[in-house]
Amino acid sequence: MKHLPKHLRPRWRYLAIGIETWPDTDLGRRAFQRALWYAAGNLVGDAGSADADLTLLRFTHGDGVGEAVVRVRHGHVDEARAAVACVSDVDGDPVGIRVRGISGTVRACEERYMGRASANSTQRDVAFEGAERPAVVREDAYDVRVESGYVGAAAFDIE
Amino acid sequence: MYEAVHAHPDGETTVARHAATAARYGYDGIVVRTRDALDPAGRVDAAGGGAESDAGASPRDAAALREDSGIDVVDAVEIDVDDATSASGSVGNYRPDRTVVCLVGGDDGLNRFAVEEPRIDVLARPMHGGGDFNHVLAKAARDNGVHVEFDFGPLLRATGGKRVRVLADLRKLREIVTYYDAPHVVSANADSHLELRAPRELVAAGEAVGFDPEWVRDGLRAWGDIVARNRDRRSEAFIEPGVRRGRYETER
Repeated sequence: MKHLPKHLRPRWRYLAIGIETWPDTDLGRRAFQRALWYAAGNLVGDAGSADADLTLLRFTHGDGVGEAVVRVRHGHVDEARAAVACVSDVDGDPVGIRVRGISGTVRACEERYMGRASANSTQRDVAFEGAERPAVVREDAYDVRVESGYVGAAAFDIE
Repeated sequence: MYEAVHAHPDGETTVARHAATAARYGYDGIVVRTRDALDPAGRVDAAGGGAESDAGASPRDAAALREDSGIDVVDAVEIDVDDATSASGSVGNYRPDRTVVCLVGGDDGLNRFAVEEPRIDVLARPMHGGGDFNHVLAKAARDNGVHVEFDFGPLLRATGGKRVRVLADLRKLREIVTYYDAPHVVSANADSHLELRAPRELVAAGEAVGFDPEWVRDGLRAWGDIVARNRDRRSEAFIEPGVRRGRYETER
């Protein structure tokens, strides 16, 4: 279809989103998009959700960290931010999520807020609370494997 | 702005990781509700700084954590008991040691006890599990300076009918508390660093369910005000409210 004249095109804002999960979580693009739309639908309803749009444009995730760019209609950024905050889990796996910033173009969004996550994680045994335990280490973040799952620790906790 | 968190062993994330995450999210400090996660400030002061410093960086040492993360780390306790009698005993036990004392409400008797007890800083989760709040409690909370907590946890993490009921309760509580101008605090009640949310996200989520954005920000700042007030009270210059050791006092 012929594209719209400039003044009729929707104006967009792009949210740069930082994602954090436990290291064994496998987060897919489709699952994350679905969680985002469900969160918006549940919080602001179908009408508000349609206004905010919340289409996922970029998505990467691996080793417990991820990034995404989400498209939001100009003027509905607050609703979108609230919906993003309400994404607490994706298919039962808990997700830590945060809006790193907002830009007017995808390119500015990527250049400014993305690509700083160095997902260089290593697996090694660490001494945590008086026992040797396997852990996934990413800079200062240590996700230590215990009986009931993971415990989020930092370099400070490792003896 | 401060956030109050549950740390390992009660939650799934240690204090240090909570602090690192909160620092990245733009908080000025965290209040650790879990009793076993940090050494109480009162006892460290009593023991004297010299003996503590050579013990190395224990993961329970709030001062070392403050230095490591760059934000304030505050020792607190969350008293969770069944009735007012045992609550009274616990308050007496923990108040001298801990910087912030919270009491988990959720029961009419406990809510009543908490708002009438000036030694309690925060009445946590008053509407949780069948508890209720009314104008009498709001007035008492205002007069005794007990902050009523607005728990945003279910708003962020619950779904369906459970969330609807929680939001209805939050709205009722908000109407009562704002009418009587009782002090309030806001928290997401995070059990792990994945449940933490940045202040702007909490404000946006609150706004979406009818809270005034500035009011939510006040609720996050109130934790810091409580901490500053209690630290001041614990400091040596403090004699009693309105009476301080002045500059004319000389050391002997």
